[in-house]
Amino acid sequence: MIWVIHTLNGVSFGMLLFLLAAGLSLIYGLMKILNLTHGSYYLVGAYIGSTVIATTGSFVLALIVAPLVVAVLGMVMERFFLRRFHLDELPQTLLTFGFLFIFADLSLWIWGGDPIMLPKPALFSRSIDIGGLGYPTYRLMLIAVGLLVALILWWFQERTRLGAMLRAGVDDAEIARAMGIDVSLLFTLVFAVGAMLAAFGGVLGGPIIGAGPGTDFDVMLLAFVVVIIGGLGSLRGALVGGLLVGLLDNFGKIFFPEFALFTIFVPMAIILSFRPTGLFGRA
Amino acid sequence: MRRHLLVIILAIAIFAALPFVLPTYYLSLTTKILIFALFAMSLDLLIGYTGLASLGHAAFFGLGGYTIGVLVVRYHVSEWIAFPAGILMAIAVGALFAVLALRARGSYFLMITLALAQVVWGIAFGWRTLTGGDDGLPGVKRPTFFVSLADENSFYYFVLLMVGLSALALVAIIRSPFGHALRGIRESETRMLALGYNVWRHQFVAFVLAAAFAGLAGCLFVYNNRFVSPDFLHVVRSAEVLIMVILGGVGTLLGPAIGAAVIILLEDFVSSLTQRWLLILGIVYVATTLFAPRGLIGLYKEHFSRNRKR
Amino acid sequence: MVSSVATILGRSISRRATASALVCAVPLAMVSSVSFAQAPPLKIGVILPLSGNFTPAGEDALTGLRIYFDSINNEVAGRKIQLIVEDEQGRPDVALTKARKLVENDKVQILTGFVSSAVALAVNDYAREKKIPMVISADGGANELTTPGPLANPYLVRTSQNGRTPSAAAAEYVFKQGWRKVAALTSDYAGGFDTIGGFAQAFCKLGGTIVQEQYPPLNTNDFGPYVTGIKRDADAVVTFLPGAGGLKFAKQFIELGLKDKMPLMDIFGQIAYEPYLPQLADGGLGILSVLHYTPMIKTPENEAFVKEYVARAKRLPSDNGPDAWVGAKAIAEAAKAVDGKVEDTDKFLAAFRTLKFDSPKGPISFDKFGQVIHSMYIRKVEKVGNDYANVPVQAINNIDQFWPFSLEEFESYKYRYADLKGSMTDCKKVLEKK
Repeated sequence: MIWVIHTLNGVSFGMLLFLLAAGLSLIYGLMKILNLTHGSYYLVGAYIGSTVIATTGSFVLALIVAPLVVAVLGMVMERFFLRRFHLDELPQTLLTFGFLFIFADLSLWIWGGDPIMLPKPALFSRSIDIGGLGYPTYRLMLIAVGLLVALILWWFQERTRLGAMLRAGVDDAEIARAMGIDVSLLFTLVFAVGAMLAAFGGVLGGPIIGAGPGTDFDVMLLAFVVVIIGGLGSLRGALVGGLLVGLLDNFGKIFFPEFALFTIFVPMAIILSFRPTGLFGRA
Repeated sequence: MRRHLLVIILAIAIFAALPFVLPTYYLSLTTKILIFALFAMSLDLLIGYTGLASLGHAAFFGLGGYTIGVLVVRYHVSEWIAFPAGILMAIAVGALFAVLALRARGSYFLMITLALAQVVWGIAFGWRTLTGGDDGLPGVKRPTFFVSLADENSFYYFVLLMVGLSALALVAIIRSPFGHALRGIRESETRMLALGYNVWRHQFVAFVLAAAFAGLAGCLFVYNNRFVSPDFLHVVRSAEVLIMVILGGVGTLLGPAIGAAVIILLEDFVSSLTQRWLLILGIVYVATTLFAPRGLIGLYKEHFSRNRKR
Repeated sequence: MVSSVATILGRSISRRATASALVCAVPLAMVSSVSFAQAPPLKIGVILPLSGNFTPAGEDALTGLRIYFDSINNEVAGRKIQLIVEDEQGRPDVALTKARKLVENDKVQILTGFVSSAVALAVNDYAREKKIPMVISADGGANELTTPGPLANPYLVRTSQNGRTPSAAAAEYVFKQGWRKVAALTSDYAGGFDTIGGFAQAFCKLGGTIVQEQYPPLNTNDFGPYVTGIKRDADAVVTFLPGAGGLKFAKQFIELGLKDKMPLMDIFGQIAYEPYLPQLADGGLGILSVLHYTPMIKTPENEAFVKEYVARAKRLPSDNGPDAWVGAKAIAEAAKAVDGKVEDTDKFLAAFRTLKFDSPKGPISFDKFGQVIHSMYIRKVEKVGNDYANVPVQAINNIDQFWPFSLEEFESYKYRYADLKGSMTDCKKVLEKK
């Protein structure tokens, strides 16, 4: 029975990771931008969520407001700053690091340096009995939401015109443009969606991971690991990678407590030595 | 051609005169700048000349520092052995990492180097009995290499000597046929392969050389501070040196050295003025990217160089 | 000119004892008639984390420090107090650079602050070499800084706790409650081993045992495996989980229903940390913790302090606030004891050892190693009005760094706490003598 709980923990954490990685992967897939600010979107999302909940008491409102605000931030960043360095890796790196610092310090200034955890919504604050232990329904909800988002994103990518344009843009931006697809609008849109997903993850993850100084870096690293394991640009990779990392991290800490610090990085190094472009990535 | 050499020799002369002019605090800051200039230049060999961007370079910096720390504090080994051991350790681990990481390119390479560095960090942080864990290893005495380096002036000259020689070595490397091949590889791996070059071997050697010089910088830093701690190899340190290289100007060797100076001075100065120094630093980085996308050296070349295109 | 000199003399005599006025009269007369410069200002370098993870601790300490110095008008023994604050960003090498700047550039006479032990250790060597008094007043609890050994620094004084005393106090309380078997959980780093090791030693000595030790890494996000892994036959759970870990662990401990089944003793009040109490809400009620302070201490000193603190910082003080307050007062009192001649380092440091005064955290004195002797409070989270607070249920006064052992007994144990990781459940080894 306890293994059921351990597995549920791994899967729910994995779903959260998927939410974070999906945005990053989409952005990279289309624009080849490795967005170091992704963790900052999570952080700001969680903080804004906490303020919304503190003033209105509504978790659902937080889930709407925070992603919207962060989406706007993301769009501004993309349109006025990142766009210029499309395909230029190194200036991109400096730019996104700069923004990471800016967001980090502003957050510290506005919300202070104490770690916070968002309160759970009343609907999901109970625990159900699994084998003598109470298991929070919130985590079960997280799994459901993760699957729902995965489904929506998949449907969007495979079944809508916009998704087709996205796939075309990922394959070959120049030809897509030649075919009349407004690639630059697409870029901005996708960037906004990616940022939104990260902030959404921030509010959803708030009651579990919480937020505080340094969370931006931690989340960024985690998201990167998942995306790399899953393969850059692949939604499927983000899901599989997320679940894999979530489970590995959980069980790794149980079986190898001495190596708890490595449970994420060692598997990543191993997977990459066999498949250097990740599980589902393209070269 | 000879300009590079001239600049270095001139710089060394100026630096040699500094202890007579600067107050002790600013001299110690200069020592720190020299060490990080070396660190940044070593990364530039990898990024700017071989085309491989790494986010794990601090691993070698830290390995140099920790090797000396462990040997000196735990085993009371003489500095004549500890110092070269630090560099050798960086070389050995560099070779290992190269073998693992060179299977990947681009963003994957970036992440693999990060992962490998995190593993090293985890060991330094976790193996408390050896490395002191998160407290690190305080109590590393300054070495005596014919002369005691305990006082700040002597140590400064030692660092200047080491960094100066390394800079000359790095210039020699990039001027050599090997260095030219590296640049070719940076431009296009496939072309070099077609021309019959053993690309992998070139990249491997470049990686190990970069690791060696970073390790040397780490050895100097541990003696500078007289302690070593896990933040020598933290990802933030790797990010910092990467920023120094990009800010200064990738692929110019001088650029990263200047980048190191600018960032250290800026951080020191601004953090004493305001609690919001991180915000200001972030704004500087964004501004630099917008107005000097090729780094400070790029800016110079664009506006002041005789060779600029009209 | 003569009249100005008289004015100078007049001012100084009214402020100092006649004897010292006579001593200073001549140099003062020579100093100038243009500026009535008295003794040069007393420059204090404050090294604290004001960015990064430890920011709240740093800000707390700075507030506490300022409250005291403002209360004496930033002047002691005729010297103006000048605070130069530097942000060490949570990094030891930056701390060292800032220490150098403060000492060599700004010419401070004293260094104070220090939150993380790594930072304290990094600056320790430098301060010792430069013979600069170092007053750790914001944490920096590494035991070795004030016990005989290679790191001991005669120029160092610490007004915050050392690592082991809260653990020892916790052990006594836990044992007294009749809890004999304890499940221990701490973060996997030196501070964790120190804390649980200190607990183990005191607890084993009393006759209790640790039946389980778990070491989640410092940046653990999901405490699920650790919470579900707690041995159910233990009488109580003892933890030391600094940073966000305490909050995350507590939430899962509460969620999984364990908080109502097993008492929780939180050493160092890392879970029962004031900003977390509202986040834990009713779930946190009943959590026990041990720390050398709680804002709920009912003494006039503390009530006044808390009032002033809340007015300035808009939040309740953590232990760093009063620790820094004590550090500031200790500096001022020691300076007074040597008539402001802080530059006479040996005398100045000796003066610390003689100090005794009351403070927001209780009565204060120092041992011969420069470590503060203060009180430990066992606290329980209770609802007070509309808020959740750490109400003191027991206070143990005059605890020195070796309590409940003597220095000799403390030194007779074979293993350092950090070496006991993995063997905390073995009381024989924990208590093994050299």
